[in-house]
Amino acid sequence: MRHFWLTAAAQTVCAAIVALSACPAIAEETGVHEESILFGQSAAFSGPAADLGLNMRLGIETAFWEANEQGGVHGRQLELESLDDAYEPKAAITNTRKLVNESRVFALIGAVGTPTSRSATPIAAAAGIPYIAPFTGATFLREPERKTIINMRASYDQETEEIVNRLIRDLGVKRIGVFYQDDSYGHTGYRGVVNALKRRQLELVSSGTYERNTTAIKRGLLDVSQGNPDAVVLVGAYQPIATMIRWSRKIGFDPVFVAISFVGSNALAQKLGSDGAGVYITQVVPFPMSNWPPVNIAYRQALAAYAPDAAPNFVSLEGYLAGRLAITAAERCGRTLDRDCFINQLLDAESIDLDGFKLYYGDGDNQGSDAVFLTVIDESGYPSPIQKLERKVEP
Amino acid sequence: MINLQKFLYQKFSRISTQLYLGIGSAVSFTILASVVAWIAFDRVAGLQRHVNENSVPKMTVAFAAAEKSSALVAAAPRMAAAASSEELALVANMVAVDLEDFQNKLAVLMDDRHHGNRSAQIQDKGQALISNITAIQDSVSDRFEISDQLEVRRAELIELRDRLTTILSSTIDDQFFYVITGYGDLEDSTSSREQHFSQDQLSRYRHLAELQVDATLGVQVLSAAFNVAYGPQLEPLRERFEATARGIDRRLAMLDAESHQPDLIALFNQLIDLGLGPEAGFTLRARELALEERQRELLTQNRSLALELVAEVEGLVRAAGGSVQEATRNANQAIGLGRTILLVVSAASLIAAVLISWLFVGRILLRRLERLSTVMRSMAAGDLEAQVDVRGRDEVADMARALEVFRRYALEVQRLNLVEKLAEELKEKNTLLESTMSTLKQAQNQIVIREKLAALGELTAGVAHEIKNPLNFIKNFSEVSSELLDELLEEVPKLTSADPQQTDSEKVSGVKHESMEIINEIGSDLTDNLKRICEHGQRANTIVQSMLMMGRGSGDTQATDINALLSQHARLAYHNARVSDPEFRLTVEEHFDSAIGLYEVVPQDFGRVFLNMVGNACYATDQKRRFVAKSRPLDREASYQPTLVLSTRKLEHCIEIHIRDNGDGIPASVVDKIFNPFFTTKPADSGTGLGLALSNDIVRKHGGTIRVETETGSFTEMIIQLPVPPVQLDQELPGEDG
Repeated sequence: MRHFWLTAAAQTVCAAIVALSACPAIAEETGVHEESILFGQSAAFSGPAADLGLNMRLGIETAFWEANEQGGVHGRQLELESLDDAYEPKAAITNTRKLVNESRVFALIGAVGTPTSRSATPIAAAAGIPYIAPFTGATFLREPERKTIINMRASYDQETEEIVNRLIRDLGVKRIGVFYQDDSYGHTGYRGVVNALKRRQLELVSSGTYERNTTAIKRGLLDVSQGNPDAVVLVGAYQPIATMIRWSRKIGFDPVFVAISFVGSNALAQKLGSDGAGVYITQVVPFPMSNWPPVNIAYRQALAAYAPDAAPNFVSLEGYLAGRLAITAAERCGRTLDRDCFINQLLDAESIDLDGFKLYYGDGDNQGSDAVFLTVIDESGYPSPIQKLERKVEP
Repeated sequence: MINLQKFLYQKFSRISTQLYLGIGSAVSFTILASVVAWIAFDRVAGLQRHVNENSVPKMTVAFAAAEKSSALVAAAPRMAAAASSEELALVANMVAVDLEDFQNKLAVLMDDRHHGNRSAQIQDKGQALISNITAIQDSVSDRFEISDQLEVRRAELIELRDRLTTILSSTIDDQFFYVITGYGDLEDSTSSREQHFSQDQLSRYRHLAELQVDATLGVQVLSAAFNVAYGPQLEPLRERFEATARGIDRRLAMLDAESHQPDLIALFNQLIDLGLGPEAGFTLRARELALEERQRELLTQNRSLALELVAEVEGLVRAAGGSVQEATRNANQAIGLGRTILLVVSAASLIAAVLISWLFVGRILLRRLERLSTVMRSMAAGDLEAQVDVRGRDEVADMARALEVFRRYALEVQRLNLVEKLAEELKEKNTLLESTMSTLKQAQNQIVIREKLAALGELTAGVAHEIKNPLNFIKNFSEVSSELLDELLEEVPKLTSADPQQTDSEKVSGVKHESMEIINEIGSDLTDNLKRICEHGQRANTIVQSMLMMGRGSGDTQATDINALLSQHARLAYHNARVSDPEFRLTVEEHFDSAIGLYEVVPQDFGRVFLNMVGNACYATDQKRRFVAKSRPLDREASYQPTLVLSTRKLEHCIEIHIRDNGDGIPASVVDKIFNPFFTTKPADSGTGLGLALSNDIVRKHGGTIRVETETGSFTEMIIQLPVPPVQLDQELPGEDG
């Protein structure tokens, strides 16, 4: 009898201990599981910006796959759940809510587009979820009070500043027009160009717009050609921009075209074919085929192993870098990963070196890279790196 | 018969019988009260049972029915507010359960004949309510169906709008571009200006633009229709939409769109169908609104039905409540009656108890007992003569008789005791006599001793007187001899140096000088001897003086300043001591109480006492000083300072004189003997042993006492106490003088 009571007591104690030891497992961070970390992505996988979303996803997946092959981050496999928003803010809202509330992801990564990010960030901020490396250079994402957003790439302002600077310095062009998508993305680019000109006591010659997710660019083309500019800055998606350039060439309006990175260089080059020769595109990541910085080599190797059919391009490189950034932060937090640590690891870090691609964050600075690179679509129809703009030799 | 009567009389005259009767009547009253209470409570319990078994369950059911009816009243709005058909099913289930409950409760109430009419009414109202609720349920479920369809239409409309926007904006963009530039397709070459900037192309552009406006308007009107809340508002919207649709048809015809834009026509047809089709927008929305209206009516009806039902059920509850109240009233009446009877019975038994205690216990029993106790108390106080009243036949009378017997015995015993006491007293007297005898014997012994002492004193006085004269001779002649010897020694040098010029007689003078020295030596020895003779003569004289003193009283009493006397004689004694030992130093502290004033003493006698005591103190301290000096010669001054403290004090009935020294004290073994004559601790040549004996005598003669406090090795204190006022010496000791 006595023996029985002792056994019962021992069992009770054991049950209590088990219950107590189970507690930390319950208290773990959302999206961080025993053997995995779940990231979420809402981007365009269909529609006229699909190429951007698909490549961004490919890049992140490549980086995750590479890390998982080496045993994951502190024993956890990295997982990515991607939902298609077709570059539509409404869909971005639905997707983000789903990722936050149903899939319960640890962080959001690699969103594509300014209007979509604009709709998704309030939801992410309300849930306290890190919003990492969106594929956009919009100014509002770089406001210091947005504590949960970690940007990687240079801003559109920096890109347009560089464009205007190059146009004036390298080519001596002063009559500059803007053709832009009639939404927050296009407007950011438009404001960037106007401000860059204003700093040089210059004014915009003309501008034209088109509606998002359409290729109805002709009226906008007529508008911008009215001012007869020597150079036109293109702030749009690759499909309408390609259409615009082709129509522009068709009607004999042939200024210097400079597109900003969001256009998706490789997709644009592909769409334009031979018509694309001489179109400049600014980039926020290095030329993927170069061997400097060394991260490019790692990227190409990983991509070749993970997706042998995919050709290296700017967008998937940016996706790969975004993935590497997330991996670095998670690794620094160790096994007890949580969102605060994740964000602070990035924002408090002096510098983060992704194999030569250096990121600098700091007090009130949530943007890692300020680098803007120049490329031009050459005769063969591919973008290639250049150091400065050159006046086309008339054929 | 007479015997029986007598027996009864005897029985009744006993207190026990009377007490039994009294207690018996009190008990019967109590039993009576209990019976009354039991009957009253039984009646109350019966009524309570009635309430518990009939009224309360009925009321509970009535309350439950009322509650269920309220639930049913709330059921209809809950159904109407259901957001989905699943929720509706859930609510409907709950309502069904409530309904069943309600009907069961109603069935229970129906059994009651009193409320038959009312129950039937409730039943009717309940049925009406149930059918109404069923109708609402049906209408709500219909509404859901239509809502779902409408939702599909809304989604279709949104999709259609997007597609229309895309295709229209593209088409207009193309048309505008063509009108301006003449380019239609990337592959085409430009057409001539007449061709692309023609009236036809411009109106085509206009129609396209108008179509875009119409599309926007149609979509807006249709979505407004989807959101209309009030049926009649639907008609103007339908009219607008029909107008828009006609306009679209017209423009599409003008556009000759069939050949150019087949997909555009399809989209517009879809839009028009979405609005005006048989199962589409306006019809569905109208039906939904009608259903909502019907639902509202049903709800209103439901509310009024429910209110009536609730009112009926409340009536039922009131009725049940009424029966409970009646039962409660009956119970209260029964309780009141029982309480009144109880009060009466209690009052009766209380009065009976008071009467018994007052009349019987108070008047008969206690008074007689008191009388008896008075007798007992007087007996206890010793008065055994009073007779005890023994009248009566009861227990008190028995007690009185017993007391009387006891009194007689006590009287007997008292007498015997008296004899014994006398014998005892005689014995005590004998003992006293014996002790007196022994005291007498002691006194006789003392008298003998005193006689002896007196004889000794007389003898001593005589001897002393006789010795005094020879001592005087010894003293005087030794002094004279000393003087003569001094003169002789003065003359001797004159003999040797009478002629200093006589130089040839140096030899003779040298010889003479030797014999001169011898003469001087012998002379000084002689002087010493004479001095010693004188000293010892002096000492013998002192002893004789003392002996003479002891023998006779000296002087008369006179008011004396005791403080001055003490101070003076202390100094005298100190100087005496200094004479024999010039090294001796004594610190004298005086603490005199001036309140003593003048005191009647024989000053010469008291002077002796003080001289004596201070002399003893000086001796004791000197002895100690010498001893200390011998044992620790290096720091004698620091280590021991002979000190004498003299103090006087006036107390209430006496004065005290303290003489304290810090000598070696008196050993405990001898402290009792110090007042005995001829007892001394001094060496035989320096003390007479009479000082303290004499002092004691003197003090006693003054009616005082001497006390000694001492501690071996540290101090001795003599304390003289003299009575205030002082005794008259002549009267006190008449015999001693003679």
